[in-house]
Amino acid sequence: MAYFVLFLGIGFVLAALAVASNPSPYYGVVGLVFGSIVGCGWLVSLGASFVSLVLFMVYLGGMLVVFVYSVSLAADPFPQAWGDRHVMGYVVGLGLVVGLGLALGGLEIKFGVETIDSVGLFFVRLDFSGVAMLYSCGVGMFLVAGWGLLLTLFVVLELVRGLSRGAIRAV
Amino acid sequence: MNPYAKLILTLSLLLGTTITISSNHWMMAWTGLEINTLAIIPLISKSHHPRAIEAAIKYFLVQATASALILFSSMTNAWFTGQWDITQLTNPPSCLLLTTAIAIKLGLTPFHFWFPEVLQGSSLITAMLLSTMMKLPPTTILFLTSHSLNPTLLTIMAITSVALGGWMGLNQTQTRKVLAFSSISHLGWMTIIIIYNPKLTLLAFYLYILITSSIFLTMNTTKTLKLPTLLTSWTKAPMLNTTLMLTLLSLAGLPPLTGFLPKWLIIQELIKQEMTTTAMIISMLSLLGLFFYLRLAYCSTITLPPNPSNKMKQWLTKKPTNTPISILTSLSISLLPLSPMILTIT
Repeated sequence: MAYFVLFLGIGFVLAALAVASNPSPYYGVVGLVFGSIVGCGWLVSLGASFVSLVLFMVYLGGMLVVFVYSVSLAADPFPQAWGDRHVMGYVVGLGLVVGLGLALGGLEIKFGVETIDSVGLFFVRLDFSGVAMLYSCGVGMFLVAGWGLLLTLFVVLELVRGLSRGAIRAV
Repeated sequence: MNPYAKLILTLSLLLGTTITISSNHWMMAWTGLEINTLAIIPLISKSHHPRAIEAAIKYFLVQATASALILFSSMTNAWFTGQWDITQLTNPPSCLLLTTAIAIKLGLTPFHFWFPEVLQGSSLITAMLLSTMMKLPPTTILFLTSHSLNPTLLTIMAITSVALGGWMGLNQTQTRKVLAFSSISHLGWMTIIIIYNPKLTLLAFYLYILITSSIFLTMNTTKTLKLPTLLTSWTKAPMLNTTLMLTLLSLAGLPPLTGFLPKWLIIQELIKQEMTTTAMIISMLSLLGLFFYLRLAYCSTITLPPNPSNKMKQWLTKKPTNTPISILTSLSISLLPLSPMILTIT
């Protein structure tokens, strides 16, 4: 079990490496999918099963699907692939950065469910009750976060409207 | 731009600034910063010119990186100390990371490269917003966490900001870029004193907002985007150009004008803290900025410019009287005698 969690952690770093060195969004999104899967697995290993499943659903089922649909509309017919020398240079370079981080930081492995006592929610599942508190005591943050997300929608709509007279001239 | 969209974006700018300023929890501070970043992106790319779109993208990337670093610093601190209070940042790696993140957000050297290009890509009023209001939340966070920041890094960044703001501003002919480098230089002055007396940082910041707003509004009235336009702008509004000269010299920090007050008090505080060499270095480096302010002031008051002003009709242009400009300009020229009162207020 301990080695499985270590494998998830290594998988996360490798997925981040894949995303950072991607030659084209189609390959970067593969890294994102893999990274979110192992990241959700890591969250489950820490004990936060609810937020892990929520992340899975929203990230993979919502955001990545929309991303894939919109990227497929703006398709690059002949993208560079992983095997090209140019891309391999990026992978090796960023891999060296990962190695540097490993050498400087060291490989510390913490395992087990760390139940953190937070505002008296010790015996209740932390992530469940945290989300419940977001809707009750933390409603101010909830409203602000909701407005932030709505604002993001308006900003994106304002940026992409106008076809070729707008901000995106290629459309 | 669509008026409803503009309303939503302006309200979100005010909301984001208010949230960050009035926050105690790092999450709220971060949320306010992100709302600000998002809301100003369409305002920067409003004209849909490629330079404006590039400026918007650069602004977004830089500010998003800085917000992520702020989040990482606060999360690391919460991991080690168990609390999210803004004033209780005690973990040393978090303090270093936060110093760097605030420097990126504000535009201190060596993270200043985005600022002139973003300012050049936006309209004059958006540039004014970027220089004044968008600096308010990061400066507030700087003020709140002033005891947790890394002094060595801050001093190095401040001195190099004053130096590079002056040096790189010397070669500019576009007024927005000149004002960007003046902003970087002033941020250096604000940052050098944050460890010793944070109230002087806020005083320098408020007076900087005052003077810069009056300059941007004046330039918006006469639409001076580059130096040759400034040379012939006296035909559009003669009185405005005279006051522009005085306001520019106030921004440079010359004695009888308002801009001298923050520099004077900062130098005095630095000397009290036995940092006389630092005070001397930044004073000398400000002389570089003085040169381009003098050049701008000279260009705004010259009456026989080298470039021909073919349009005689400009003499007959009737510009409406502009109350904000008159108030801000008179404040930014003549506020120095009130300095004891200013000191008691801030």
